[in-house]
Amino acid sequence: MTPSSTATPVRRRRRRLSLGRALVYLGLLVAVVLTLIPFVWMLLGSVKTQPELIRRPPTWLPETFTWDNFTAWFTRLDFGTFFFNSVVVALFTVLGTLVFCSLVGYALAKLDFPGKRTLFGLVLVTLMIPGVVTFIPLFVVVSKLGLVSTYPALILPFLAGPLGVFLMRQFMQEIPDALIEAARIDGASELRIFARVVMPLCGPALATLAILTFLGSWNNFLWPLVVAQTADMYTLPVALSLYSVGQNATNYGVLLAGSVLIIVPVLLLFVLLQRYFIQGIAVTGIK
Amino acid sequence: MTTPSTVAVAGATRSGGRGPAAAARRRTAVIAYLFALPFLISFAVFMVYPLVASLLMSFTDFRSLDIPTPFNVGFVGFEQYTALFQDGRFVRSLLNTLYFVGVGIPLTMVVALALAVALNNGINRFRTVFRVGFYAPVVTSIVAIAVVWRFILQPDGLLNTALGAIGIAGPDWLNDPWWSMPAMILMAVWRNMGTLMVIFLAGLQTIPGDVLEAAEVDGAGAWQRFRRITLPMLRPTLLLGAVLLSVGYLQFFEEPFVMTRGGPLDSTLSISYYIYNEFGFGNYGTASAASYVLFVAIALLSLLQFRAFRAKG
Amino acid sequence: MKSRITAVAAVAAATALVLSGCGRSDTAGSQDGPAELTDGPATGTVTIWAQGTEGEALQEFVKPFEEANPDVTVEVTPVPWDSALNKYQTAVAGGTTPDIGMIGTDWMPGLVSSLQPTPDAIDTSDIFPYAVGTTEFDGVRHGVPWYVETRLIFHRTDLMEEAGFDEFPADWDGFKELAEAYKANGAEYAVALPAGGWNGFLGNLPFMWSNGADIVSEDGSEWTFDTPEIVEGLEYVKGFFDEGLADANPDTENSSNAANFVDGSVPMFLSGPWDVPGIADAGGAGFEDKFDVAPIPASPDGTSTSFAAGANLVVFDSAENPDAAWKLIQWLTQPEVQVEWFQTVNALPSQQSAWDDPVLSEDPKVAAFGDQLESVKTAPNFSNWSEVSAAADTYVEQIMRGGKDPAEAMAELQAEADSMGTGE
Repeated sequence: MTPSSTATPVRRRRRRLSLGRALVYLGLLVAVVLTLIPFVWMLLGSVKTQPELIRRPPTWLPETFTWDNFTAWFTRLDFGTFFFNSVVVALFTVLGTLVFCSLVGYALAKLDFPGKRTLFGLVLVTLMIPGVVTFIPLFVVVSKLGLVSTYPALILPFLAGPLGVFLMRQFMQEIPDALIEAARIDGASELRIFARVVMPLCGPALATLAILTFLGSWNNFLWPLVVAQTADMYTLPVALSLYSVGQNATNYGVLLAGSVLIIVPVLLLFVLLQRYFIQGIAVTGIK
Repeated sequence: MTTPSTVAVAGATRSGGRGPAAAARRRTAVIAYLFALPFLISFAVFMVYPLVASLLMSFTDFRSLDIPTPFNVGFVGFEQYTALFQDGRFVRSLLNTLYFVGVGIPLTMVVALALAVALNNGINRFRTVFRVGFYAPVVTSIVAIAVVWRFILQPDGLLNTALGAIGIAGPDWLNDPWWSMPAMILMAVWRNMGTLMVIFLAGLQTIPGDVLEAAEVDGAGAWQRFRRITLPMLRPTLLLGAVLLSVGYLQFFEEPFVMTRGGPLDSTLSISYYIYNEFGFGNYGTASAASYVLFVAIALLSLLQFRAFRAKG
Repeated sequence: MKSRITAVAAVAAATALVLSGCGRSDTAGSQDGPAELTDGPATGTVTIWAQGTEGEALQEFVKPFEEANPDVTVEVTPVPWDSALNKYQTAVAGGTTPDIGMIGTDWMPGLVSSLQPTPDAIDTSDIFPYAVGTTEFDGVRHGVPWYVETRLIFHRTDLMEEAGFDEFPADWDGFKELAEAYKANGAEYAVALPAGGWNGFLGNLPFMWSNGADIVSEDGSEWTFDTPEIVEGLEYVKGFFDEGLADANPDTENSSNAANFVDGSVPMFLSGPWDVPGIADAGGAGFEDKFDVAPIPASPDGTSTSFAAGANLVVFDSAENPDAAWKLIQWLTQPEVQVEWFQTVNALPSQQSAWDDPVLSEDPKVAAFGDQLESVKTAPNFSNWSEVSAAADTYVEQIMRGGKDPAEAMAELQAEADSMGTGE
């Protein structure tokens, strides 16, 4: 892996192509503003009143500023519970995925066992299966296990994510065998090798997998809706959909305020982890 | 740079044949299974079993009314599969999905690649702002974003206001059968370009600077360097991006679900949406059969892409 | 070789699981006949799912029931309308339903095989007959109608007077004249009518019904889409699109009707009772005097007939506490409780005697809904109605937007519907 920055050429280019670089900056600036317009509108809309939100043509800046849409989430709705549920589910889904997928990834990348190719093939195949197809049988399984309306029901089905296995296997294959052999000669057990030699090298891959899993879990809607049968087990997207479209008029303000509340945590997380994320993808299986 | 999997296999077979070595190999296998066990259990219970169940369902005329008496369903073999292709709406959904994939994938890749190349070109200031900005659409849930996009796409919405400012009378995006699909594609590009941008950015960073440097010294222009060096070296990354994207795009569902309900005139009815409808109608057998048609389509397209990208190399 | 054996074994094991899994969900079905209600108060925990504002308000509303039955606890789970059917279907498949569900009348056919018959002790004789009809399958009642709703024509009275009309017309010709007058008076379009899309056919059915049409034969054995009554009704509606009185590309966003109504650009639309307070809110202070609701205009050969729907309270086969569940349903559908429920969430009572209460009878807009409910029809009680309805929506779209000939379109729909059957 070659590090990205080779200092000298960059500096030279900066001097020579200052006009070109200015144009690139300008283009990026325009593009990023366009990309973010929906968010800006969402943010502005969340502090507007209902009559203003349904007025045509739509207004940009709020004429009457109100916090009511946000306070509704804490008074009429139990935001705390929904947030807690979402956090617990996302956290354990991420942890479980990291453990399960790195364990099996190690076996697939560095150990030899009969059925290995079949297993990896099966994992690749399930990557391509449309999610809707297993929905009802999966629910039947979960209900037969007596898990409906529990945290495990919201977490367990996502620990078998084929994408995670794929990523971890690809990444671990890049780890030199010599390192592992050396540890084996020193008499280390496989578990110890895995924990002390392999895992510490997997930081970027784990960060990537963590972000992808977190996003999937945080935004998941249909499964939690169906499997959480009491309101105190609802996650944020399910609670949000209670206010989206109904037979009665949609409460746009509450909906937009809820959208802001859902998006902010993931954006913060991405800002914090984005460096590892990109590095993780750079060294994960794409070569 | 790649370490092929055969190294691991060779490592294991090196000690094959002799007695103690065979025992060691068995021991390795046992350890490997133990490592795989947590995943295997959850994979079998939550993935393989529901898959087999749905596959069986696709060969029966299972309907939602049969749930209390699941043994009363009839085995119909491939009847539902053949019936699918005689259903005009299913064929329409196939064509719509092809349209979406055929336009959406190249467009998303070009946009993402342009962003990645621009960001990789010595942009140091505001780098984080740009990365997070372009990635932000990826992290948003569709439930949250649908409302905003309806306001953007409505006849007197933001998009048409902007188009009006430069003298173009924009169409009624969501209600015009010609423009509904482009509107869905626009939304999909917006939601997915961030993922690909990050992947491409990562790929670009593995291209050694001195190679480009040498080309520059030899007098190659920026475009030539991109065509002759960057693109070929990026091929594995492009392949990964294309495969990931097609797996996602072939299952195209959320945008029409929240924006158009598959209309107008079925112009945004995708295969996944068709499947969803059939489940809603209670035709579980038909829905399962359609799902496996979609699966075959995804597998075929992935295979095709592997071929195409490899052939060029 | 070995791996192939493993694979085969895995498939075999999974198949065994599938079969045994299915077998276990075979619970006692509705064949057993209705249960007897016990005497005495309800006990135990009753779980109930409810959508929309009902879901939000119900927990608080059932307090008096819980006080009257000290040993009972009612647990309400609010469910989003959009995906509620999905949730009920999967819960049925997994055998994890609540005791009580709030089932839209159009979902009844798809779920009835998992519902308990209504105990004989529950009297539904005073409930709107059409509503009871939505619970009846093979002559057996499954559940009790909770609220009813029908569609009326919302119209701007102030603009109507400006356009030269004192009374809302009751017949087709008058309605069309009013539409033209609205438009001449400056409205962009006169009336919002569905040009297709989800429930596009159902949304225009009132005009066909008010022309004496029916979409199913008397005995329920076949579809009757290609009758002259249907075709004429569609031609009448198509006229509004052709003459620019209705927008063929309306904004599908829920709020657009309200917005266009309030600013006067589209001064008429068809909607249900929930929009009465909704529109008054959207219009601001004093707006409730600027609009009214009127029955569907009838053709010379027909009588005003609107579309009616609503929701039923049902008890699932897999209910854990059916006895208390039925008692809660009995309580919720008492006329006095329904009047109070109307005041809480604006849901129209299914009990006809509740409509004599001044709260309803003295509000002219509400009373108008009561009058229309005397002459309504519902979507057919067939398990494949949603599928046929979706097909019909496509044809309506082809007629209104694509300019297709209604007679031709209905002949094609008839053929398509015939091939699907009436789900009997």
